[in-house]
Amino acid sequence: MTVTAAAVQPNLATVGLTKSFGGVTAVDGATVTFQHGKVNALIGPNGSGKTTFFNCVTGMIKPDAGTATYRGRDITGKASHRVARTGIGRSFQLCRVFPRMTVMENMLVAVRSTSLRRQLASARDPQELDRARGLLARVGIDHLEHSEARDLSYGQQKLLELAGVLMADPETIMLDEPAGGVNPALIDRIANLVRDLNAEGKTFIVVEHNMDLVMSLSDHVVVFDRGRQICEGPPSVVQNDPRVLEAYLGI
Amino acid sequence: MSLLLQSLVLGVLLGGLYALLAAGLTLYFGVMRVVMIAHSAFLILAAYLAWFFTRTTGLDPMISLLLTVPLFFGIGVVMQRLLISRLRPATLTMMSVLLTFSIALTIEGLLGFAFTGTQRRIRLPYGGANFEILGANVAVVKLIAFLLAAVSLGALFLLLKKTQFGQALRATIQHPEAARLVGINTDRVAGYGFGLGLATAAIGGTALALDSTIYPSLHWHWIGPLMAIIVVGGLGSIPGAAIAAMVLGLGQSLLQIPLGTTWAQTFFYIALFATLMLRPQGFFGGRLAQRF
Amino acid sequence: MRSASKALGLLAAVAFVVAFPRMAPDAFILSVGVVIMSYAVLATSWNFVGGFTGYISLGHAAYSGLGAYATGLLVIETGMNPWLAMLAGGLLVAAFAVPVGIASLRVRGASFVIVSIALVLILLLVFQSWGSFTGGSNGLRVPRPFGTDVLRPEQHERFFYLHAVLLAVALLTWWLIDRSRFGTGLKAIREDEDKAQSLGVPTFQYKLVAFVVSAFFTALGGGMYALWFGFLDPIFQFSILVGSYMVLMSLLGGIRSLFGPVLGAVIVGYAVEYFKAQYGDTQFHLVAMGLLLALVVLFMPDGIIPAASSLLNRFRPQAASIREVTAAELAEQRRSAADAEEREPVTEGARR
Repeated sequence: MTVTAAAVQPNLATVGLTKSFGGVTAVDGATVTFQHGKVNALIGPNGSGKTTFFNCVTGMIKPDAGTATYRGRDITGKASHRVARTGIGRSFQLCRVFPRMTVMENMLVAVRSTSLRRQLASARDPQELDRARGLLARVGIDHLEHSEARDLSYGQQKLLELAGVLMADPETIMLDEPAGGVNPALIDRIANLVRDLNAEGKTFIVVEHNMDLVMSLSDHVVVFDRGRQICEGPPSVVQNDPRVLEAYLGI
Repeated sequence: MSLLLQSLVLGVLLGGLYALLAAGLTLYFGVMRVVMIAHSAFLILAAYLAWFFTRTTGLDPMISLLLTVPLFFGIGVVMQRLLISRLRPATLTMMSVLLTFSIALTIEGLLGFAFTGTQRRIRLPYGGANFEILGANVAVVKLIAFLLAAVSLGALFLLLKKTQFGQALRATIQHPEAARLVGINTDRVAGYGFGLGLATAAIGGTALALDSTIYPSLHWHWIGPLMAIIVVGGLGSIPGAAIAAMVLGLGQSLLQIPLGTTWAQTFFYIALFATLMLRPQGFFGGRLAQRF
Repeated sequence: MRSASKALGLLAAVAFVVAFPRMAPDAFILSVGVVIMSYAVLATSWNFVGGFTGYISLGHAAYSGLGAYATGLLVIETGMNPWLAMLAGGLLVAAFAVPVGIASLRVRGASFVIVSIALVLILLLVFQSWGSFTGGSNGLRVPRPFGTDVLRPEQHERFFYLHAVLLAVALLTWWLIDRSRFGTGLKAIREDEDKAQSLGVPTFQYKLVAFVVSAFFTALGGGMYALWFGFLDPIFQFSILVGSYMVLMSLLGGIRSLFGPVLGAVIVGYAVEYFKAQYGDTQFHLVAMGLLLALVVLFMPDGIIPAASSLLNRFRPQAASIREVTAAELAEQRRSAADAEEREPVTEGARR
């Protein structure tokens, strides 16, 4: 999985992205380029602004300054449903599902309806149901189709969230701590899913604290500290960069 | 000209009371993200208590503050701890509105039960006294009410700015998670925040009782303008609320000249709609307001 | 099996509604029936925004009141056919709801509630003060759609059925939205608005549409009430209390179920009318209303229907068909297996 650097296309890219809350600058002029078709990792110590960065580029919050582009299209400050329509799907740090809707209903939320007729048509379109069941089977929770999401275990909810994001068929998937709070077997399952999906052409941008996972999974690593990129490169290079050690150990 | 001046002075006096009450409403919203519909019901309750106190003891209604302020503070703390904190965080905003709304209805009903719907007014020896200032005629009671509100607001401001508790409270308003991380017991702070908010209603109620006729359903006339004020000021911002209260109070008072009392009231609602259309985060609001 | 019993229940309810006017012993009981029907229409209409999006409006009396006045004034001022006036009133109110919705739904939660209450208060002020047009505090007499030769009980009966038809249309619309993609998006907004938007749901537009539909049906309910009752007083039309009845009814019955608001309307409406008849208009009303609402919010926010159906499910294993039980059990077994798999990763390899 070495980067042959032949034709690295930019996927999501930001220039000088900045967001502060009151007196705290969470993202401070972040200029980052993620690679299309690859598994990108975004790492950094706690509070280095990774999640705020995610929220800024996906339209959950408006950045104070800077620009974000996705495959050349400007997405700065766009509402999150518009960002989603450009082909970016995302998960949340503490996994978020719709608790009092069934697993199947959770899946159907992401189905895009272009016309008024389709909006008013029954949500239980056989084709979409089949696709949803296929994705649920893929993450391994198809037997829970009729359960309410709040009755699922945390791990199952994480899988449901991932399947729900896939339902919108995004080109790029941003995962915020996919391995957070789940057991090792499930981490393996999620890692395999990411690999398979990447092989099928999906780009990933993953925020993760589990370094083994980051190193084994990703092609390209971006390291954040205090709201901006301090270094980037393939995992093997980043691992040995003194700036990264400094950021993590605070030397 | 003197009519205009008169209205200006009355507007400032009214704005002071609005500012105090709006500050209370902002406190609840700040610490708990709760829109406290019952705020003005407690205001009227305090006014009734002041009236009842004067009627039974013959003492000055302001002495009732010694009882109502601690009482209301206590009720506020208890209400936050026992009722509001029971609600699920996911639906807190909506359910707390309903809960405080139901408290408002209950208070209104109980007041009607205890004191009937008859309009009440405190008879004060200095009730009819006025004095002239710059050619404007001002009732002494209005000035007392304003001073009461201004002093309380000043005290509240000092409490928030200068004390350690005030710092904890502001931290809780601005960023609850961060406040918890630095060791602030945000639950307790939220409880005290509620108590403080309700204490402003106690003071405001007494001030109101000095120069107004009161009746149980009067609180609906207060909650609308107060909510308009906190939205215009920017939800969660106490200085914003105070400034908006002054501006809107003055506006109402001035508009009364050409429009009359009733239509002048609509000024608040027009300001509310205009704010939400043009600047939904309010005119002085910070980060908080963006998401509510 | 389940759908069969549902159909049976629906049939029984329809039969009861059809038979009610004949069973009612006197005109008074019949008029109570009309009032409860009217509440059912209003609560169901409220539930388009409350149930789907989770946004609680305390001021829906604004739309029923506007619908009532629009209908009455159109009939009086233009001599329009009363039923056309009702429909036109509904459309006017829906158009009015668009800017209100834009102002109050762009930001989250709190502003919506504040605007909803403010709107009732402002309309009360305006309709009381603008005496030359609205009749002011003296009220507005609305001409009856049926001639004077139609006697009172007959009037009640006709309006009972007319309200029932309106209710049926509202329920049907709610049901259609509930099963549509639009409805799925709305429910997602209720559960987690940010998450829904991140999945591509245009949350603001969805909320706005649900809100306008809700205002439309509420206005129709108000308009029909105006034609039945024949007299409008701003104090009762733009009353915070009426708005809170709609909330209490929907919440008590269950805002996430189709028939929840109807059930709530029957219970609360009956109780309100009973107390009015027994004790007249006293302050006790407010206290009872306040306490009941607080109890529901604190202890039964999901309402009666979900609580009852989960209770029923617990006691009905034998009643269900055998296949259903095994399917459920299978799911249960699988679920516990999946849980076990998660807790003990070691066994996973062994099981394969």
